[in-house]
Amino acid sequence: MNSLIKLELARALRNRKFLFFSVIYPSALFLLISSTSGGPTTKVTGSDLTVSTYMMVSMASFGALTAVLMGNSERIAKERENGWVRQLRLTTLPGRGYVLAKTASAAVVSLPSIVVVFVVAAALKDVRLDAWQWLALTGAIWAGSLVFAALGVAIGYLASGDAVRPITMITYFGLSILGGLWWPSAVFPGWLQDIAKWLPTHAYAALGQAIEQSRAPHAEDIAVLVAFFVLFAGGAAWLYRKDTLKA
Amino acid sequence: MTTTRTTTGPVVGFDRVTKAYGDVRAVDGLSLELHPGETVALLGPNGAGKSTALDLLLGLKHADDGTVRVFGTGPREAIVAGRVGAMLQSGGLMDEVTVAELVRLACDLHPKPYKPADVLARAGISQIADRKVNKLSGGQAQRVRFALATAGDSDLIVLDEPTTGMDVAARQAFWATMREQADQGRTVLFATHYLEEADAIADRVLVLHRGRLLADGTAAEIKAKAGARRVSFDLEGTIDEAPLRALPFLTSIDVSGQTVRIQSTDADATVHALYGLGVYPRNLEVAGLGLEQAFVAITEAEEARQS
Repeated sequence: MNSLIKLELARALRNRKFLFFSVIYPSALFLLISSTSGGPTTKVTGSDLTVSTYMMVSMASFGALTAVLMGNSERIAKERENGWVRQLRLTTLPGRGYVLAKTASAAVVSLPSIVVVFVVAAALKDVRLDAWQWLALTGAIWAGSLVFAALGVAIGYLASGDAVRPITMITYFGLSILGGLWWPSAVFPGWLQDIAKWLPTHAYAALGQAIEQSRAPHAEDIAVLVAFFVLFAGGAAWLYRKDTLKA
Repeated sequence: MTTTRTTTGPVVGFDRVTKAYGDVRAVDGLSLELHPGETVALLGPNGAGKSTALDLLLGLKHADDGTVRVFGTGPREAIVAGRVGAMLQSGGLMDEVTVAELVRLACDLHPKPYKPADVLARAGISQIADRKVNKLSGGQAQRVRFALATAGDSDLIVLDEPTTGMDVAARQAFWATMREQADQGRTVLFATHYLEEADAIADRVLVLHRGRLLADGTAAEIKAKAGARRVSFDLEGTIDEAPLRALPFLTSIDVSGQTVRIQSTDADATVHALYGLGVYPRNLEVAGLGLEQAFVAITEAEEARQS
């Protein structure tokens, strides 16, 4: 399976469009938002974090989300259709190997998405945190991206053909915007805030923000993330099995 | 290269295997055995159940009824043991990687791999090794699929319509490559539309029709079974069909104008008896029936028998 991971990874790193959207784009968006929203000491509505500190976590989460969700859902749907998944089933690769290789390679690409935003924030926007906070943030955002990797796999097995791209896009932008990755959800109207706080992306960003505030993450956020992980991974496993029987 | 293949018992065994999609039985009570070293063609029209039969053999689908054994085990076990290499019609390729990278992956995944450079050379794709998979022509992609199927020392090679998309020259080169595989003692099973391929390449031809085995034998036997010689001649005057119909070994007769066309399973005996009728046939021609016509004849006979 390692050889498949290596090849998936080589392919992902060669894909300039994918690298742009998962690595460069979140950093650029971070710079844009943090430079246009008040001065360096401006606090985010409903939080005691500065705009730069707050948005750094949002955009690192957004970048990781892009890396694990965008590439895989479309690829899996396409490779199911063109028969590559069938061809792989004629090798010694265990059935789950394909999905695991896809997830593993996405996880490798999501790491630079996170780190590049951090480097840009620290170098250009003077975001200062303790060493343990940088490490914990990286670890938490990286681990949390698994929830969305599972979602990407589920969409890849659920949708096919022309449907996969719009479904991925709607899910991606819906989760990003409503979850408060682009604007703090505190600026949303009350009813929207009530919805937003149950979204996995909201809990995902909240995890990082708690670390920045040197607090332990809310149990509620962790519970939301775990629940969505179980839901997405369970759904992906179920759809995968259904697809295998049908093949 | 000499490889000793320690296979005893059948390579593949289907025992009353049935697979249905809704009301349609794609494979219907199919029983067959493949033996070590055979090169077998699986012949049939579209929808005959060829691809389903191969899917069952490779463990991609599961039989509703009956058992499929490959080297005495289930299909998946045989694949995991590296004994089966397969090339599917519906088998896609990973794109945006090079041919060489994909072949290396196939070698890495095989328990008894060959060197990637050798696999590329044997499949005749060394010169396109650095090309991206999604930039290949149909025939080149088929060769890459063949390379994936022969990445290691498998004992059974399964090919589903392998020459689709190839021109005549590429097809000939392909079969030469495949013969090398067979000459190393491998069992080769291929499904094909190209009936001349079955005739030219296979030691044994299995004719599949509506999910059932219609005929099983050498290409020569299949031809014989279908009434495989065509006899044609002209007669003068009014043609009396009745005695012609009674000719021995005759399977069909068609009279149009002064021309009589007969199919016979023993043309020598039929012609001999024809002279015995006291007629004087002119422009007498006796010709072999291609496997294609033989195949159509078998299929028609089967359909006539069923209706």
